[in-house]
Amino acid sequence: MSADLLHASAEAIGRSVVAKERSAAEVAEFFLGRASRTAERLGTYLHRDPERTLDAARAVDRRIAAGETLSPLAGVPVALKDNLCTRGVPTTCGSRILEGYRPPYDAHVVERLREAGAVSTGKTNCDEFAMGSSTENSGYFPTRNPWDLDRVPGGSSGGSAATVAAREAPLALGSDTGGSVRQPAAFCGVVGLKPTYGAVSRYGLVAFASSLDQIGPFARNARDTALLFNAISGRDARDSTSRAEAKPVMLDEVERGAGGLRIGLPRDLIGEGLDPEIGAALDRVARSLEGAGARVLDVSLPHAKYSIATYYLIAPAEASSNLARYDGVRYGIRKPGRDLIDMYGATRGAGFGREVRRRILLGTYALSAGYYDAYYLRAMKVRTLIRKDFSDALARCDAILLPTTPTPAFRLGEKVDDPLAMYLNDIFSIPASLAGVPALSFPAGFSKSALPIGLQLVGRPFEEATLLRIARAWESIEDVTDRVPPLVEDGARA
Amino acid sequence: MSARAETESKRGEALARYETVVGLEVHAQLKTESKIFCGCSTKFGARPNTQVCPVCLGLPGVLPVLNERAVRFAVMTGLAVGAEIAPRSVFARKNYFYPDLPKGYQISQYDRPLCIGGSVEIHAQDAWKRIRLVRIHLEEDAGKSLHPEGREGVDTTRVDLNRAGVPLIEIVSEPDIRSGGEAYDYLVRLKQILVYLDVCDGNMEEGSLRCDANVSVRPRGQTAFGTKTEIKNMNSFRNVERAIAFETERQIGILEEGGRIVQETLLWNADKGTAETMRSKEEAHDYRYFPEPDLLPLDLTPEWIESVRATLPELPHDLRGRIQREFEIPEYDAEVLSETRALATYYEETARRSGNGKLASNWVMTEVNGIRNKTGQSIEEFPIRPDRLGDLVRMIASGTISGKIGKQLFELMLKDPEGPETLVRKHGLLPIDDEASLRAIAREVIAANPGPAAEVRAGKERTFAFLVGQAMKQSRGRAHPEKIQDALKKELEEGA
Amino acid sequence: MSIDPNAVHHVAKLGRLTIDPSEEPRLLSELASILAYVEQLQSLDVSGIEPTSQVGAGTKTPLREDRVVPCDVRDEALEAAPDRDGDYFRVPRVV
Repeated sequence: MSADLLHASAEAIGRSVVAKERSAAEVAEFFLGRASRTAERLGTYLHRDPERTLDAARAVDRRIAAGETLSPLAGVPVALKDNLCTRGVPTTCGSRILEGYRPPYDAHVVERLREAGAVSTGKTNCDEFAMGSSTENSGYFPTRNPWDLDRVPGGSSGGSAATVAAREAPLALGSDTGGSVRQPAAFCGVVGLKPTYGAVSRYGLVAFASSLDQIGPFARNARDTALLFNAISGRDARDSTSRAEAKPVMLDEVERGAGGLRIGLPRDLIGEGLDPEIGAALDRVARSLEGAGARVLDVSLPHAKYSIATYYLIAPAEASSNLARYDGVRYGIRKPGRDLIDMYGATRGAGFGREVRRRILLGTYALSAGYYDAYYLRAMKVRTLIRKDFSDALARCDAILLPTTPTPAFRLGEKVDDPLAMYLNDIFSIPASLAGVPALSFPAGFSKSALPIGLQLVGRPFEEATLLRIARAWESIEDVTDRVPPLVEDGARA
Repeated sequence: MSARAETESKRGEALARYETVVGLEVHAQLKTESKIFCGCSTKFGARPNTQVCPVCLGLPGVLPVLNERAVRFAVMTGLAVGAEIAPRSVFARKNYFYPDLPKGYQISQYDRPLCIGGSVEIHAQDAWKRIRLVRIHLEEDAGKSLHPEGREGVDTTRVDLNRAGVPLIEIVSEPDIRSGGEAYDYLVRLKQILVYLDVCDGNMEEGSLRCDANVSVRPRGQTAFGTKTEIKNMNSFRNVERAIAFETERQIGILEEGGRIVQETLLWNADKGTAETMRSKEEAHDYRYFPEPDLLPLDLTPEWIESVRATLPELPHDLRGRIQREFEIPEYDAEVLSETRALATYYEETARRSGNGKLASNWVMTEVNGIRNKTGQSIEEFPIRPDRLGDLVRMIASGTISGKIGKQLFELMLKDPEGPETLVRKHGLLPIDDEASLRAIAREVIAANPGPAAEVRAGKERTFAFLVGQAMKQSRGRAHPEKIQDALKKELEEGA
Repeated sequence: MSIDPNAVHHVAKLGRLTIDPSEEPRLLSELASILAYVEQLQSLDVSGIEPTSQVGAGTKTPLREDRVVPCDVRDEALEAAPDRDGDYFRVPRVV
């Protein structure tokens, strides 16, 4: 049974729970057991409450016993990134400024998952307020890559990606603003989806950059990703930016194969600096999809090379405003001060880490009088150019195939002292965020040093199904979803 | 001339050499049931921090959703003042830190407001004058900070967020106002429009209407503007007037001595009657406005705007003109009677019922409002409704009863719900109109006043009124006003 | 490209952040390098381009019915306060 659960897809687990072949409580116990052996070493969780998880699982079992029809995710454990509000459960966003904070309400996606019968395994570690690409910016501790404990899992949703890779949970939710779901998915060898902006309600997602943030699923394969996406997507009246166009991904659509699809390769974006193994993986995947009946063509994204500069003006600007509410007045920590302004400074100085403070300064600067036009406004205009590049390219193909990251996972501490070097890692993930289009990272194999390699698909708005279909087609050619991180497996036997 | 008189005279001359230039920014709380971006109640006076939710508390992860009625009320206001309604307007964040501003920013509108232009007509120096508006936009209110001032041994500020998120419109005028008096009239008329539309209570004392003034002076004839100061903390229309007068003099005083006006914000101190520099010198505000990413632009179709226009009630200006023409009453009367829509309706119904617009006007302005001033009743609460008052006025207008009897009936009608005709009979107030009785009264009056009687016979017509008055007094007002005159005339002739 | 320390101090004040003197040199150089990097946007011709502040702009503006929705978080919210005075949140005096 435990071997089954170790390798079972979320879909299979859900089906077996609904068929009463196993109880939700058994499933929860299994995954809680795994996490109890690995979570501390990996640093995947900021908060776990095994009793609460089991209670939730038992509640699902009661609903099934009562004859209630539940979703495909019934009894399936899902980890939640710690920037998702969970009522009565600590939500710190990886920051000291919210140490001990328990929201009095649940995020929309948390409500949806509970309704669906999914079971939360806890709150996963992340870069502070989702700002970072390695989870080293967490105010608490770093998360380690399950494939190599000296390497980063990626960020900002490092904990969520790692917990799925390490099989502490079959599914997880993260958030993606400039790549924070896709990049850790690539580093950890799992599937990570950034939905179309507006497809998933942001109500209850602690805001980093409001015009870019999206909650996204992690899973080990395309079908599971679709199921989790379906469980959380759709219009929510509490989020004015959430869209009615979001529709569920049908599994039979995901199974349609790559035949007849046009896949674009943006050669002008893929230049030097790309790890040759990732370049090779890209070619291999492109050829395999061609073999499966897809047509591969060149597309151009001429302004995509300005994405990082654009993003690192827009995102910090919005963040500087979104983080103004952390002032020690109504929640979170408060450091004493002579007067109010003193209190603000002391609280925010103590509560925010270096990266967050850097971005608040950068963002405030970009919005300040005399600089707004040259920085923020200009960046918003370049964003329009980038959006147009994507809609032009996606008129000629059904999906764009490109790397997720320039390199596989780097070492802990390697880039933490050079913020700009860290930012430059996002060159492939940021463009789709700026355009608001859906983007998916899927496992494409392993490097010679046994590190996962992920590749990315970008599609038209609300066409997540197409991306998952291509990823599934690749899975049926070369299945890399079943390898278990060896280090973790060793640990698990102890 | 005394030294004091000379100073006064110089002061007057100085004032006359300068022109005051004032622009007003008015914030009006909209009378919606719920807040602008969340479903919390907007009711005034609730226990602190009981009308709050995650959204208006600014908790992590919350998002705003725009209240339809707030938009509607703002558009109604824009249409009422003749502003252009922008088909697309954009919300923006105004970023600053303050304990009663939960998110650390206020959602407002910046370079693309909902309404542009428009005007309010005021009555200044016996003429109508148009005060142009720059814009009207929507924004959310902040909560309330209770500072330690006046509290012994207290060094902290308390914060109540009930008010945070209440919808506001900000109405900005062009600097067309030229005196405190004009400012007063502007505020009265603007409030009247808002109350007519039923979008705002317009109560400065309760804070549903707030006003900041931008004041500058310049030598008469100069077109360039002088340096302006901003005055805050005026809590009544009168105080706005006083503050402007004060600031005008202060600025002129400085300029006359060769000084320069410092652009700054002043707080009005109503007790002292002075405007003082704000103690806390905040760095020049850089609000770092940018478009609110959590809200889509507000797009309004022409059809929707027209549908709102169709719901507008008759506005004060139009109503005033109409009742003046329709009931043939002077402009002054029309002004008084149109103070509120309810009063105007009351008057109109009374006037129609009575058949005499001017007389009805007198009765409403003097008698009805006179009682209401004493009792504080609203016109809706006033016990004599238009049907009974109209009947009363009709009786007086037709000469059936005298004005004096009318007043007696009015007093009775305040407490007794019966109609005037019933009450006249019930209380024996019937006019005396039979020839015999009237002649008897006339004879008595003439006999009691031989001197005046002789004067009238001799041709002094004015004394006749005195005799009529005496006859009315004698009959305790019951003598039929016209018929008693006939009776007196006949008796005077015959008795000669 | 170097950055004016006064500008950074001013911006820190706007953002209610304190900058520790020990970290100031490093912070200045980091900000300078980031700002130098974003300068590349100045070379683009953006005349006539509309800025994108919301990718959803153009969709029908969502509006909420004006209705009071009861909410029960009040007690939880006040309990989370770092300092309170009965019904109120309490903070050090403003000035």
